[in-house]
Amino acid sequence: MTLAWPRVVGPRVDARDKATGATRYSADVESEGALHAAVVRSTVPHAEVLAVDASAALAIRGVTAVVTARDLERRFGDELCGRRVRDMPLLARDKVRFPGEGIAVVLATTRRVAEDAAALVVVEYRELPPVLDALGALEPDAPRVHESPWRYDGAVVDPSDPPNLQSGLVEGDLVAVDEVLGRAAHVVTRTYRTPSGYQGYLEPQCWTASPRPGGGVALLGTAKAPYRLREQTAKTLGLALDAVEVEPAPLGGDFGGKGGVVDPTLCAALALWANRPVRLALRAGEDMTATDARHPSVVEVRVGCDADGTLLALRVDAVFDGGAYAAVKPIPSANLHGMAECALGYRLEAFFVRSRIAYTTTVPKGHMRAPGAPQAVFAIESALDELASAAGVSPVVLRRRSVLAGGDRDAYGHVWDEARGTETLDAALAAGDAAPRPKDRGRSGWRRPAPSGWRRGRGVALYARPTAPPATTSLRLAPGDDGRLVVELPFPETGTGSHSVVREELAASLGVDPERVEVRQVSTASLPYDPGVGASRVTVGLTAAVRQLAGRWSESGGTEAVTIETGSGTEPPALSFCAQVADVAVDPETGQVLVLGVVTAADVASVLRPRSHRMQIDGGAVMGYGFACLEDLLEGDGQVWATNLAEFRLPTAQDVPSLRTVLVEGGRGVGPANVKAVGELSNVPTAAAIANAVAEATGRRFRQLPLTAERVFWALHGEAGEEAGEEAGEEAGEEAGEEAGEEAGEEEGPA
Amino acid sequence: MKLHARVNGSPFVAEVPATSSLLEVLRGAGLTGTKEGCRIGVCGVCTVLVDDRPVSSCLYLAGCASEADIWTVEGMAERAPSVVDAFVECEGMQCGICTPGQIVAVASMGPDVRDENGVRRYLSGNLCRCTGYGTIVDAALDAQARRRGEVAPT
Repeated sequence: MTLAWPRVVGPRVDARDKATGATRYSADVESEGALHAAVVRSTVPHAEVLAVDASAALAIRGVTAVVTARDLERRFGDELCGRRVRDMPLLARDKVRFPGEGIAVVLATTRRVAEDAAALVVVEYRELPPVLDALGALEPDAPRVHESPWRYDGAVVDPSDPPNLQSGLVEGDLVAVDEVLGRAAHVVTRTYRTPSGYQGYLEPQCWTASPRPGGGVALLGTAKAPYRLREQTAKTLGLALDAVEVEPAPLGGDFGGKGGVVDPTLCAALALWANRPVRLALRAGEDMTATDARHPSVVEVRVGCDADGTLLALRVDAVFDGGAYAAVKPIPSANLHGMAECALGYRLEAFFVRSRIAYTTTVPKGHMRAPGAPQAVFAIESALDELASAAGVSPVVLRRRSVLAGGDRDAYGHVWDEARGTETLDAALAAGDAAPRPKDRGRSGWRRPAPSGWRRGRGVALYARPTAPPATTSLRLAPGDDGRLVVELPFPETGTGSHSVVREELAASLGVDPERVEVRQVSTASLPYDPGVGASRVTVGLTAAVRQLAGRWSESGGTEAVTIETGSGTEPPALSFCAQVADVAVDPETGQVLVLGVVTAADVASVLRPRSHRMQIDGGAVMGYGFACLEDLLEGDGQVWATNLAEFRLPTAQDVPSLRTVLVEGGRGVGPANVKAVGELSNVPTAAAIANAVAEATGRRFRQLPLTAERVFWALHGEAGEEAGEEAGEEAGEEAGEEAGEEAGEEEGPA
Repeated sequence: MKLHARVNGSPFVAEVPATSSLLEVLRGAGLTGTKEGCRIGVCGVCTVLVDDRPVSSCLYLAGCASEADIWTVEGMAERAPSVVDAFVECEGMQCGICTPGQIVAVASMGPDVRDENGVRRYLSGNLCRCTGYGTIVDAALDAQARRRGEVAPT
């Protein structure tokens, strides 16, 4: 069904409630008579738990119980928990594998009492050797995090794999890539590193579970994939699927998190165990350090071109620290699709990508906005600049020679009818060269000044991402009061404006005033399955589903409720490019990096809500800037040292670069609304664009994020210190030496 | 201890532990528009006005608010309607969790905050992870212009 009327873009459906404090988030819903849960968390990375002494906690008035793994096992059996790989206990059984792992839970009548009492629970450990380095973890003699990880339900490894392999993924042809690299005129091999990070949502996770008559449980809380949380909880607790109901709640941001760590299932278990409602609310620091951080990476890139700078082959070998459990990763491969797709943007004769994720005794690593892509693209797009320098061509020329164009076959063998790499790159470059316009950012044309005496540099980076055809979802449309229409949908508003898109699409499809359409998230008991928010599937799937719903509503006369369930689309995917140009200034005295501006060119098809669309691009670029320059959980010595938002610095309104966005319009998208996904695009190339700009400004190549003043200072000043030694040393081996090494077949990095 | 104050223009009396934060007391009284974020005074999502000054209510001892005039986001439609309208119309939000703090902070801006640099400096204690800040800055500038009477309220 096509649109009956032009789409009217009004205020967001959720705007007024959010602006007056009326929106009820998970933590704003009090459950009458609920017990409050506080988790006793491990203080060590790896240990046997010899004893848990709860006597002091139990002596506090208001404490009703201290629950351990034994108590839960007696009630629910010994099933492990996980989204795909089920390898994580709700509470540690005899052994802890990361600092922050839950060992016991205090239940009390108030949150304050529960937290105070949790601090009094004494755990006796026998410490085991920690496994803190992902590369070392894959060595044959490394201490084992899990005895037999291949035995876990959903495991993607087998006994012949290295002992701590969590997931391995291979794409491409190793023999071919080495053959082509062997005859390339120029080859560089470089290794890049990124730290672990926090998704950065400002709403800590919170759940309230209530037992239901007949042995079921209702769960209300932060859940971006309610149906999958239902499945995870039912499986782990041995319940029928319909015995678990996940209730609706808006999300205060997720950025890849909030998909289903073990804690919500633990909350459900506690409510059933205590036969009372139980509320488990995490503090911000707990959420940052003990749920599902972004994977730190070590990525080796080997890339070659011919004499005129045309790319020939790309070989990427990445090792990620997966933390103690694979449980929090949502896809069957338990890997990162940003890695699988990282060779997409350029014409290549051959490529090979290997992505290995290792178990370590650190916080489990999960997904964050375009999982794996920021790490991979930082490495590849930095390496392309290094290759350009070796080949004596400009970084822009190198990219232009090989970026995918319409009709090209990509490295994976797919032929793209539309691929607008050059157009997108050129749009970003043109905007970068133009003078700032007053309307670029805010009303006064705010732009960061470059302090005098600082060194200036400009860098560019590209990212290509497919938009998949519509995925499965479900919707219901029912007549409401006063001639209103009520649309029920199965997933939360996370902030993107998805519920507003539904209202506006439906109103346009039926030719009614959007004000007449009410949009409501409903519980998992009310609609058929939906995979939840993620992987940039929402707008594509929703717009397709809304038109189907409107068609069915019109056919049925529009008097009774209509429910639809959509299948996955079969049309080919669309390709989006994102090109960014970053301008930086670097203080030669202190090493401080000031990002003056980031221009983003985004390859788009139809734009449904222009302001919401732009915010995805702006917010992404700012997140990319944070990844490049600020954010680091500082994992070391088996602990997370950035335990709060003062230590883990998110960009403020004052920190952010001047942003300019150029839309490369007229593209062909997917689905009936003709859209290309935008949510996981602009956060990806930013770090490489900034690192490339810093390289131009300083003459030094930084291969490790974030680009802190300290890191840059030591590289510039060459004082003793590991950082300086590493950066300067690599730099000293510039072109001649390194390339000779390459041609001799030298191997380095994660072999 | 007994806390006597005014909240959003109405008398407010509550029996509170002496160590309670103002955030806990407000939320405990059902004013859940004010959110708990970092709990160390960094993120700004718990911002409320105490005697016209924006404070991080997570760090503010409730006892120190004795006899104070407290305003939360729930009172903004009455005290600063142009700010609320500006955030709605400029779409100065996505997930909305920082929005109460942003709106309260903007409501406390003096007339001297007139340009983008000033707004960004003033709001640097209110984090937002979603928007990239562009539409929040737009909303703040819009609200300031409305207060100066440069934009007719809609």
